[in-house]
Amino acid sequence: MSIEEAAKFVAAAYAVILAVLVLYYFISARRVNTLRRDVQLLEQEVQRRQAGAGEAGGE
Amino acid sequence: MKQLVSAPALFVGAGICLVGGLLLAFLYAPVDASSMGFSQKIFYYHVPIAETALVAFGIAFVAAIAYLRTQNLKWDRLGVVCVRLGLLFSLLVMITGMIWGKAAWDVWWAWEPRLTTFLLVCFLYIAYLVLRSVVEEEQRRATYAAVFAIIAFIDVPITFFATRFLPEGLHPVVITAGGTGMEGSMLVGFLISMLGMTLLLVALIRRDLAVEDLKDRVADLKHSIGG
Repeated sequence: MSIEEAAKFVAAAYAVILAVLVLYYFISARRVNTLRRDVQLLEQEVQRRQAGAGEAGGE
Repeated sequence: MKQLVSAPALFVGAGICLVGGLLLAFLYAPVDASSMGFSQKIFYYHVPIAETALVAFGIAFVAAIAYLRTQNLKWDRLGVVCVRLGLLFSLLVMITGMIWGKAAWDVWWAWEPRLTTFLLVCFLYIAYLVLRSVVEEEQRRATYAAVFAIIAFIDVPITFFATRFLPEGLHPVVITAGGTGMEGSMLVGFLISMLGMTLLLVALIRRDLAVEDLKDRVADLKHSIGG
C-alpha cells in the first residue's frame, strides 16, 4: 500500500478518535453546567420556600 | 460546589500531551520499516486508548471489591463511571483497530484471539450496564453490578495476554517483557500519548463523578421541595 493510500486510513482513524473524544468532552461539560444551574435554581427555590414558611410562622 | 467540577488543569495537561504525542508521531518518529508502513502511525493513539480502556475496567474491578467490602455507594458510582468510559475507549479501539487492520492486512475483522477477547470484554461490560438498568433498588443494583464487574474483569487479563500466549493471530505484540521493540523516537511519541490518554481518563472520571454528584443533589433538592 502506498503512503498516500495509507494516509487516508490514518487520517480516518485519528478523525474518529478526535471527533468522539472532543464531542464527549463538550457533552459532559454541558451536562455539568446544566446540572449546576439546576442546583442553583432549586437551592434558590428551597430558600424562598423556607423564608416564606418562616414569615408565615412569625405571623 | 467548585469541588464537584473536575480540574481543568487535567484536561489541559491531557490536551498538551495528546497534541505533543501526535506531532512527535508524525514529525519525529520514522515510518515503520515493517510491512505495516505508514499505517503504523495509528499505533500512537490506538494502543494508549486500548491500555486506558483496560485501566478503566481495572478501576471498576477495584471499585466493585471496595463496594462489596464497605457497602458504600461512592464505590458503585466510581465503578459505573469507569465502565462507561472504558466502553467509550473500547469503541474507539475497535473502530481504529478495524481501520488499521484494513490498511495493514486488508481485512476489517479477523476472529483471532486479541480481537475476539476484546469484543467479548465489550459485550460483558454492555451487559453490566443492561443489568444496572433492570434493577430498581439502589443497594441491590450496586451489589449485583459489583459481582458482575468482578466476573467481567476476568476477561481483561485474558485479552491482554491473548497475543502473548496465542501468537498465531494477526495482532502484533509490541510491548513484551523483553522490551518494546520500538525505536527511541517512536517510544517517546508513544509514551507521551500514553500519558495524555491516562490524564484524559482521570479528568473524565472526575467530571463524570461530578455529574453523578450533581444529579443526586438535584434529586435531593427536588425531593425537599416536593417536586
